Amino acid sequence: MPLSKLWTIAYRSLGRNRRRSLLSLLAVALGLALLMVMNGFIAGIMEDSLQNSIRLRTGHIQLRANSYEEDTLSLQSKDLLLDPDAVAERARTLPEVKAASPVLWASGILDTLDDSAGLQIYGIDTDSPIYAPIRTALVDGAFLTPDDRSGILIGKSLADSMSIAVGQKVNLAIVNSDGRPDEGIFTIRGLFATGIPSYDQGAALMPLSKAQAFTGTNRHASAIFILLNNQADTDKVAATLRSPDINVLTWANMNQLFLQAFQAGMSFYAILDGIVMLIVAVIIANTLLMSVFERIREMGILSALGMKGRHILQMFLLEATSLALAGIVLGIGIGSAGVGYLATIGFPISDKIASVGGSGMALGTTMYARFVPDTFAVLSLAMLLIVLLASLYPAWYAARLQPVEALRAE
Amino acid sequence: MDAIQLEHVSKVYHIGAVETQALNDVSLSIAQGEFTALVGPSGSGKTTLLQLIGCLDKPDQGAVNFQGQDVTRFSANQRADLRRDHIGFIFQFFALVPVLTAYENVELPLLLSGVKPKERHARVTELLEAVGVSNRANHRPNQMSGGQQQRVAIARALAPRPVLVLADEPTANLDSANGQQAMELMQRLNQETGTAFVFATHDPRVVAFAQRVIHMRDGSIEDNGAQN
Repeated sequence: MPLSKLWTIAYRSLGRNRRRSLLSLLAVALGLALLMVMNGFIAGIMEDSLQNSIRLRTGHIQLRANSYEEDTLSLQSKDLLLDPDAVAERARTLPEVKAASPVLWASGILDTLDDSAGLQIYGIDTDSPIYAPIRTALVDGAFLTPDDRSGILIGKSLADSMSIAVGQKVNLAIVNSDGRPDEGIFTIRGLFATGIPSYDQGAALMPLSKAQAFTGTNRHASAIFILLNNQADTDKVAATLRSPDINVLTWANMNQLFLQAFQAGMSFYAILDGIVMLIVAVIIANTLLMSVFERIREMGILSALGMKGRHILQMFLLEATSLALAGIVLGIGIGSAGVGYLATIGFPISDKIASVGGSGMALGTTMYARFVPDTFAVLSLAMLLIVLLASLYPAWYAARLQPVEALRAE
Repeated sequence: MDAIQLEHVSKVYHIGAVETQALNDVSLSIAQGEFTALVGPSGSGKTTLLQLIGCLDKPDQGAVNFQGQDVTRFSANQRADLRRDHIGFIFQFFALVPVLTAYENVELPLLLSGVKPKERHARVTELLEAVGVSNRANHRPNQMSGGQQQRVAIARALAPRPVLVLADEPTANLDSANGQQAMELMQRLNQETGTAFVFATHDPRVVAFAQRVIHMRDGSIEDNGAQN
């Protein structure tokens, strides 16, 4: 019996009860579309968060003194890079490196007459392309110049919450490299809105030389912040830069918490994926079983004509395959439309929700989905497989019918 | 020469706790080219006997010899092959595959036997012509009358050039004119092809066509109508 004829019977059989076949097809399509949107969305959120974090917080690679501890933002010279310019220059000579510049971090308290807020001070090389995202995100005032001795940039949301405007003077209190409290008056030069609440509410930027003078750290730096042309070169560049007196950290090391959360999120998603597929499988099994029950006599006739159990099995599996393939094609269409919408328009969330991630995650205030073709292909294949598995029982039931019993059926 | 021989065949059905003796020690031979009616009241065992002759089922006791081979020893697949190649079936409810056209229904047994496309086409066309429904070749069963469907079913039964065609109440769902035509058609094809026909019926008008009439009652053969 040629497969093409079995396929014809299977395909046309789907047209017998069009409404039922259409509903089953929709179950496959909507199930797959839902899976695509869910997975595209989580992939988008995770990838955007990671890229935000790399762009604003960690870079692709950081070089630090071996004893530097990120949690304490230590300013003691034993914990700092003593000749940061030389280290940065060495990194810049590598072709994979897009930009490398020293950065000095300190924790501080921003005071106005009415309010105060804890934040992280970033002493930055204002000319470095690393801070292009901040330049772009500037919503008020101007960017810093290298010789600005009293200007700082803060996030717009922090400024709004403390009623601070551009040009206003604020007090910044720190504990300097000697462990003594110190403070200074600074002028707000500009406000940025990166869309990442954890950054917009907790960062103050000033020129590196001013930060070094303010904290008493001479020409030292907390780290060299490196961006690469291609993220995939991270390990290669990290290996090149490795030396005994320098701690080389990659984006993967520095976003460990985030990546762990991502892994945990993916396991949870795998369970959701499984539940959606199981629901689709039950619907398909039910459809095919009904179809088998309605056609028992017909199976008896085919069997009387000499059709063997395996042909009948194949016929029902082909019926399921047709249903699954049509459903998958439709599902990819609907799912792509959904992912496309969420990838361009996005899904807005409030600052409060976005801040929940804290410093470990750089969630934006609009979450975007992303096309992940590999994942979508795996989901489509998994859907095909699950539909075939679900159809095995009905098909097997039909195949093992005895001709005499089948013919006796009403 | 016999097309099929049944020797001391018995069959019991168990439906729940109830045992029904459908056939009781039946012995019977059907010769090649015979045109035989199987008559008897409902429950006399006609359908069971047809199913055993057609190798759709196995007897509990006794042997069924088809061209010298005891088919009760055959596996389900071997019996399927035997039905495919040597036995045609005509059912009371026409029993065409609803999603296939008349042409495709007649072609189906030939596809199962792996007959080459050219020969398949020739045979199907010839048979549809012979049963007078060639103008309905591309119609599906629900687009044809009962009489036309039964003609297609007759063509399908004859497509693999079987030794034997078994028909269970072939005219029961046809009006008398169509029933008459179906019987005339089977009779003509029996004469033209030499295929043996055995049909179960309790319609005296149908019985009148038979060369041989086997009478059954309570699972036994009352009169095997052996030819003189």
